[in-house]
Amino acid sequence: MEPAPHILVVDDDREIRELLARFLEKQGFRVTTAREAREARRVWPLGRYHIVILDLMMPGESGLDFARWLRSQSDVPIVMLTAMGEETDRIVGLELGADDYVAKPFNPRELLARIRAVMRRAHGEGQRRDPLPSAIRFGGWTLEPQRRRLLNPDGAEVSLTGGEYELLTVLVERPNRVLTRDMLMDLLRGRQAGPFDRAIDVAVSRLRRKLEDDGRNPSLIKTVRGGGYVLAADVERAA
Amino acid sequence: MKALLRRVLPASLAARTALFLVLALMAVQAAGLTIHALDRVDLQRAATEREMSARTFALWRAMSVTSPERRSSILAELELPSGLEASVDDEPAVRMGMLPAPPPVLRMIRPEILLGGPPRLRPREIQAGMRFTTLYVSMRLPEGTQWLNLQIHIPPMRPWHSETFLAAFVLMTAMAALLIIWATRRLTRPVSDLAKAANALGRDVNAPPLPEDGPREVATAARAFNTMAERIRRFVGDRTQMLAAIGHDLRTPITRLKLRAEFMEDDEQRAKMLADLEEMEAMVTATLAFARDDAAAEPSVPLDLAALCRTVLDEAADARPDAAPEAFSYQGPERLTVRGRPIALKRALANLVANAANYGSAARVTLLQPQVGQIQLRIDDDGPGIPDDSHDAVFQPFRRLEGSRNRETGGVGLGLPIARNILRAHGGDVTLQNRPGGGLTAVVTLPA
Repeated sequence: MEPAPHILVVDDDREIRELLARFLEKQGFRVTTAREAREARRVWPLGRYHIVILDLMMPGESGLDFARWLRSQSDVPIVMLTAMGEETDRIVGLELGADDYVAKPFNPRELLARIRAVMRRAHGEGQRRDPLPSAIRFGGWTLEPQRRRLLNPDGAEVSLTGGEYELLTVLVERPNRVLTRDMLMDLLRGRQAGPFDRAIDVAVSRLRRKLEDDGRNPSLIKTVRGGGYVLAADVERAA
Repeated sequence: MKALLRRVLPASLAARTALFLVLALMAVQAAGLTIHALDRVDLQRAATEREMSARTFALWRAMSVTSPERRSSILAELELPSGLEASVDDEPAVRMGMLPAPPPVLRMIRPEILLGGPPRLRPREIQAGMRFTTLYVSMRLPEGTQWLNLQIHIPPMRPWHSETFLAAFVLMTAMAALLIIWATRRLTRPVSDLAKAANALGRDVNAPPLPEDGPREVATAARAFNTMAERIRRFVGDRTQMLAAIGHDLRTPITRLKLRAEFMEDDEQRAKMLADLEEMEAMVTATLAFARDDAAAEPSVPLDLAALCRTVLDEAADARPDAAPEAFSYQGPERLTVRGRPIALKRALANLVANAANYGSAARVTLLQPQVGQIQLRIDDDGPGIPDDSHDAVFQPFRRLEGSRNRETGGVGLGLPIARNILRAHGGDVTLQNRPGGGLTAVVTLPA
């Protein structure tokens, strides 16, 4: 049997640290905690961690600086705990290569779901995890994963729901490949923590509308007979 | 009188000042030019006097030394200036009924010189009279039979009758008016700058300060304004920071409580506790959103408003799985690009849609094509509406209408104020109106 995954929790609040450790241990993880960046650097070489949970707002060295240092050391998945809605922190964190973020105050179960999703993704992709590209272009549209936004051919920002964004990301990462509904469900549940219980078809039809793709005669997201979808476009990535 | 004055007076300070200055200048110029013209007339009269008296004297001399029979022929050969006629007759030309010549006119012939000569050359008698503007002078020659009659036409004194007067007046007035208009515009510009700055401050506390240069009074006013703006900024900043600090500090205990709840044995109690905590979190989030100056932090970019409406509606529908899907609908163009702050605008629309869904059990969004530089967006619901006198009150922070204070739908009372703040920061607004057929409509306007 595989040993329990090892998690490093870095947070300056003692209570949260201890409660989180207890909670995660109850869920079957091994947990090591660190009070701040200095201590985290000290314990880092002592274990082989599968994931790091990092509070961004800490006294002394900031979480962002520590994340940068951690990235230079290892590919270990990072989940950031951010202050609510601090957009710039989130964007910088994602640019630095954090894998996900959870806003404080977080729901413990949501954090757990994110941890599992990030770990599954990290293992599924065989530890090969490129930093997020700054722009992905397809059929005149531009997806900016670091800023989590989509630009239409005129350069105007097109708002997407969380589900639409995840679906689009899955599609542009696998262009010109047929993805069955089951595959899409699997891929989406892997990254999405929130409820994505509506049928894939609904999500696709909403996304088509946003992409101004005619639902009866789609040219971007094509329906494949036998139950699947394919993004029919050349995809160009910019680092 | 006052109303008339108001109608005639121009509205702007610069125009008023310029008008008064130009009018005053015209009066001063007219007076100055008149004095100048009168001076010239005096000079002219002196010159005429000198010439006339010299001529008269010369004529008299010539006639008095000539024999009576040769006088007429000599007189015919003499060249006389215009305005002077002379003849030698047996009778004086001065008649009864002529007006007596006033002394200043009489000075033209200087009778004292004629009468002051040696006795044999002295006129034996001088008569003078006026008819209209002609001076008649009759002098009896020394031998006593003949008269030398002179007719002197006195030119009328018309100081304004020169063409240069009008030209000078118009030219000088025009030049001075240009100068005055330029100067008053320059001098009153700080006043309009101040008004503009005050307006900008009303919309954005972080508007750039006024330049503190120019004349001393203007610089003082600008400095005073900047100081006031700074104080307002600090005041708003303090308040914002306080709210943000409270909100921020609450996050840690809420996080702890959420973790603690996970260790509770009683599932029902745990679920209730988590629900309470979610609600607390929502309140903190709303308070923070209201306190934080998002406008300053988020850049304005072109965005598709139609897609934004759809996203907001889809997310609202997803969050309410029990609601009928038709309750959330969008009507309008497929694409409508506006400039704005995406996260802020989304929060504003989401708040309005959430209100419609919570209190009116539906949110139907209609996006109208832009007209006269304005975009209109309507959010209709099927609720009972709100009393007419509360249409503005509901936009006050932490204000909730009676009956909506229960926790199921209550909220914090910040949804509408946040939405209005965001839309106003975009140069738009939101108002509420009851529809005649029932239901409430939120009308959102944005500059196109």
